[in-house]
Amino acid sequence: MAVKDLPIVGDSFKLGYRLQRYWDTPMASAFFFGELGAGLFFVSLLLESAQGMMAGLLITGLLKTYFHLSHMGVPTKSWRAILRPDRSWISRGLIGIVCFIGFGGLHLLNVMGYIPGFGGLLKLLAGAAALVVMTYQGFAMSHSTAISLWNSGLIPVSSLTYSATAGVMVLLASVPESAQFLIPVALILHLVVAAVLLSLLHAARHGSPGARKSAELLTRTLYAKWFFVLVCGAGVLLPVLLLWFAGNVPLMAMIAATGTLAGYYTFRLLIFKAGVFEPIMSFRP
Amino acid sequence: MARYGMVFDLKRCIGCNACVIGCKQENSLPDGVFFTRTLSEEYGVYPAVNRVYIPTLCNHCEDAPCEKVCPSGATYTRPDGIVMVDPDKCIGCGSCAVACPYDQRSEMKAEAFKDGLFGTGEITPFEKQGYPRYTPGMVTKCDFCSGRVDAGLDPACVVTCPTDARIFGDLDDPNSKPSKLIRERGGRPPLPEKNTRPKVYYID
Repeated sequence: MAVKDLPIVGDSFKLGYRLQRYWDTPMASAFFFGELGAGLFFVSLLLESAQGMMAGLLITGLLKTYFHLSHMGVPTKSWRAILRPDRSWISRGLIGIVCFIGFGGLHLLNVMGYIPGFGGLLKLLAGAAALVVMTYQGFAMSHSTAISLWNSGLIPVSSLTYSATAGVMVLLASVPESAQFLIPVALILHLVVAAVLLSLLHAARHGSPGARKSAELLTRTLYAKWFFVLVCGAGVLLPVLLLWFAGNVPLMAMIAATGTLAGYYTFRLLIFKAGVFEPIMSFRP
Repeated sequence: MARYGMVFDLKRCIGCNACVIGCKQENSLPDGVFFTRTLSEEYGVYPAVNRVYIPTLCNHCEDAPCEKVCPSGATYTRPDGIVMVDPDKCIGCGSCAVACPYDQRSEMKAEAFKDGLFGTGEITPFEKQGYPRYTPGMVTKCDFCSGRVDAGLDPACVVTCPTDARIFGDLDDPNSKPSKLIRERGGRPPLPEKNTRPKVYYID
C-alpha cells in the first residue's frame, strides 16, 4: 500500500494521516480579522480615508485580539508571545501589531488634526507595520515543514493578496465615490487571488504525500464543496462578474464585497482544516 | 555530558500498549492526552497479511522545530538533549503543535483538569498529586521522564515494556546499548526528510 492510500486516522492509534487540529476556528478568525483590518488600513492609507483607517485599526485591534485570546490556552500569559522575535514569527507579528496599532493610531490622530507634525514619517511607519500584519501570519504558517500544504512560499503571498483584496472590497462597498479607481484594482486583485489559489493547489498536488492529501481534501473529498462554492464561487467568480458588469451600482459592490469576505474567511478556515501530518511510513518492513 | 535518545526495536514490539499506560501513570496525564502511542498498521493481501506496531513519542530533535517557533521561550533543550516545556512560560498558542512533524504535542485542555479522569468533576487523589505539574491550557509533550532520568532511572515507558522494545541511553557513548543497536542494525530516524535530526531511532 502506497503512502497516499493511507487513511486519515483522526486521533486513533492507527498509522495514517492526522488532521491538524490545534489551530481551528478562533485562530482562523484571528488571522482573517487581522489581515482584513490591516489590508483595509493599508488601502485607506493610500487613499487617505480616515474612516477606513479607523475601521481597519478597530478590526485588527479588537477582533483579532479577541479571537487570539479566545484561542490561547493560557490567555493571562499571552504577553509572553512577544519575547522571542529572534526565532518566532508569532513574536515578530505581535511586535508588528503593536507598531501597527501605535503608529496607525498616531497617524490617524495626525490626519484628523489632533496632533501636529511628523505626518510623513508616521504614514510610512504605519504603512510598514500594516504590511507586516498583512503578511506575517503567512510566514508563521509557511515556516514549518510539519504540514506540507502550509510549507510553501505561496502562503505569505496568499495572505498579502487576500488582505489587500479584502481591504479594497470593503472600501469599495463603503465609499462608492471611489468606485472609478477601485474597481479595476479589485478586478486585478481577484485575478491574482485566483492565480495564487491555482498555484497553491498545483504545488500541493505535485508535492509531498501530505500536501497531496491536503489537495485531495480541498478539491475532491471532505472540503471540496465548501472550497468550490465559497472560496472559488463566492470569493472570486461572483465578485469578478459583479464588478465587471455592475461595479458602479453600490448594492452590487456590497454583494461583491460580501462574497469576497465569505470566500476569504472560508479559505482561512479550510487551509487550517486541510492541513495534515504525514504518517511515519518509512518504517514499514 | 550525555545526549539521551531512544531506539525502538520494531521486531520486538507486540503492541501491548503497556508503555502507553506506564507513561500516563508516571506523568498523571488527563483523559485523552498521550505522550506516547503505539500505532498499528495492517498491510498485505489475504492470506499474506501482516500487522506492524510503531511506537511513537517526542523525538527530542537536535534541531527541534517546536523550540524554534515557540514565541514565549517555554520550549527549550537541556544540555543532555532532552527537549522540555516550562509550564510557567507556556501560553498555549499551539505553534509548537503545528510545527512538530510527528504530531507529538498535546493540549492540556483546562476542562480536562476540572472534569477529572472519570468526567464526574471529582478529582481523584492520583490526579491531585499529578496535575500541579501542568498549567491548564498549556501545550506539552514527553520529556523522557526527565525526573526519573535525573535520578539515574530509565523513562517509565522503557521500564514498563515487557519485550525490551524500547532502549534508552546516551547516544554520544559508542558503547551504550542504543548506540550499538543503531550502528549494528541500521537505526533510522522518523521522517528524515523533515531535517529535524531526531534522537529517536527505529530498527527492524
